[in-house]
Amino acid sequence: MRVSVEPTYEMTKLLKIDRFEVEIADAATVADVVDKTKIKVGPEFDRLVRLAAVAVNGVLVNYRQGMKTRLADGDAIRFVKASAGG
Amino acid sequence: MIKGYAGRILEVDLKSRTFAFKPLDEEIARLYIGGKGYGTRLLYDMTDAGIDPLGPDNPLIFATGPLNGSVAPQSNRFAVVCKSPLTGGIGNATCGGSYAYGMKKAGIDILICKNKSETPVRLEIDGDKSEVTFLDAGDLWGKGTYETQEILGKKKYHAVIGPAGENMVLFAGIVSDERIAGRTGVGAVMGSKKLKAVSVSGSRKLEMDDPEAFKEYTKTIRTLFRDHPVLGHSMEAFGTAGIVKTTNARNIIPTHNFKYGHFDKGMSLTGEYMADNTLVGTKSSCIHCPVTCGRQVNIEGIGTVKGPEYETLGLMGTNLEISDITKVQEWNYAADDMGMDTISLGAVLGFTMELQERGMLQSGLTFGDAAGVPEIIRDIAHRHGLGNDLADGVKRMSAKYGGHEFAMHVKGLELSAYDPRGSFAQGVEYATTNRGGCHVQGGSMYMESVGPFTINPQNLKLKADIPIVQQNLACTINSMVLCIFTTYGIVPKFVHEMDPKSWQYRLAVAAFENSGPMFRILQSIKGRPMLWWEKWMTFITGTTISSGHLQEIGGRIFNLERMYNLREGLTGRDDTLPPRMLHEPIFKHMSSGHPLDKLLPRYYELRGWDAGGVPTRKTLDKLHVAL
Repeated sequence: MRVSVEPTYEMTKLLKIDRFEVEIADAATVADVVDKTKIKVGPEFDRLVRLAAVAVNGVLVNYRQGMKTRLADGDAIRFVKASAGG
Repeated sequence: MIKGYAGRILEVDLKSRTFAFKPLDEEIARLYIGGKGYGTRLLYDMTDAGIDPLGPDNPLIFATGPLNGSVAPQSNRFAVVCKSPLTGGIGNATCGGSYAYGMKKAGIDILICKNKSETPVRLEIDGDKSEVTFLDAGDLWGKGTYETQEILGKKKYHAVIGPAGENMVLFAGIVSDERIAGRTGVGAVMGSKKLKAVSVSGSRKLEMDDPEAFKEYTKTIRTLFRDHPVLGHSMEAFGTAGIVKTTNARNIIPTHNFKYGHFDKGMSLTGEYMADNTLVGTKSSCIHCPVTCGRQVNIEGIGTVKGPEYETLGLMGTNLEISDITKVQEWNYAADDMGMDTISLGAVLGFTMELQERGMLQSGLTFGDAAGVPEIIRDIAHRHGLGNDLADGVKRMSAKYGGHEFAMHVKGLELSAYDPRGSFAQGVEYATTNRGGCHVQGGSMYMESVGPFTINPQNLKLKADIPIVQQNLACTINSMVLCIFTTYGIVPKFVHEMDPKSWQYRLAVAAFENSGPMFRILQSIKGRPMLWWEKWMTFITGTTISSGHLQEIGGRIFNLERMYNLREGLTGRDDTLPPRMLHEPIFKHMSSGHPLDKLLPRYYELRGWDAGGVPTRKTLDKLHVAL
């Protein structure tokens, strides 16, 4: 199955794209997608992901099964950084 | 007189062109502080029920608070209070810039503009001489807010309206420098009085109870702010636009008139993208504020002007499915210059585009297409053609053309750029906030959807509690009068530096989420001043102010606003959300919309209101709300 990934802005600058799709196995979890993203982004990934949460279809995985959250075909995985505005 | 106040209220009659200075009431100041609180008390006492908001009986009240005029960061905003022509209920808005500072320099806590002038007029107030000069403003009438202020010059501090206010666009605002008191149509009320501008000057100094303690403590806070991840870093680098990426990722940024919460092409509207591509080097802030949240951009043919804030990027960018940041920047400038609220403007444009999509109104305005937008902004400001209808806001548009189910407003005030289906406490706040669907009368979303420490926004835990604490706090912030952004400093640096994926972070969030009534109980303790605004209030006024004191005062202000709305004919039935928010799911796992029906009864109970949303006698007595 295929899922889409939206990285943080900093990762986007390295990747030169703001959204990409990855092929994953049927029982794949968020952790699997994070691993695939790490390979794509390269050595800077660990630093860039440290303060980012992960959301699946807009819902933080913190409120589900964390990095073990199972994915479904067509899911959107987004890396989220906290911020504040007005 | 209590320290921190000038001790004077200036009353101006625009019809007879007379004025009088009156003493500030110390008892009201103790109970309601100043700003929005004091202004609401005056409005309630001065007016009868059912007045025409655009008629002569609606006073326009400019109100400062005891922190204004000081050099405390984020402390120079003023409140404007009147009956709202947009909602028919309480109208208020606060504004930064420099005008609040000018009022206090002039030795005026509150300015009340009564009645209306026959012809365009502007006021020049010399606080040192205690004189008010009524000047013909015919030459300024029709001019934008930028040009008007340029003509008025830099020797005085100004509050002005643009063509939108003059033409009584129901979401027109009042501008100081490049900031706007945007919400609820306060600019339309100023326009109805034919009052183009107020300019103040003076040389008074703010008297404090303990100036040395204030000075030393403020130095510490300035250092804390400079090093804070939001107030010192993110705001300086990205302004409020730094939030776009977050709300887009979490599915709560309005898209396609709030039909969706995510815009695939949203990257070019983020603060980070703007910093890399469109911002020019200059930053801006309100007077004496070290948090330089203002962003500057270049507009072709205009020059360097203030860039769009988060709300504008949401309502006029993603909401209209426009990804070209230069277009949003141009429209933002046009709206600022015309003097109107970009939240309501973006919402009414989105609503009009959906009417077009459904074949209910042929406007030529379509999602994802910038064509026709600059023209309709001008037409709204001047009430030309179809713009005349849009100038009345979403609620009246839906009454005329249909589309109630996708009319995105509460009590007539258009929703801000946080979708409550992904932020349940914010939904309760929208539904119950007295001025209508707005986020800066509380800001619950910060604790559940966007901040560095967010609870699950889609269960019922604390979702009736958080809005009450936040609304009460915001009532006092808007009465001192501070910038609501100061509350972002509460979350310390180490929390920002936690990995949100870590078990420690998740454990802390779970503990908070399950704290039940402890959250409210801790806030209500009347003890020593802890946070900077509590300490500033204590150093300046000489009265001990703590979180518990502010929760009580905020509750008083909120309930008085509520009683004003009830007197004007609003009821508990107005405490609702747009049908789209209640019935249409926005997340894959949802079967319906926001669970307001499950949360509102609990909210009423916690507020001490009856099942119909009316404050009980006991609640009003406990809070000393005199009617």
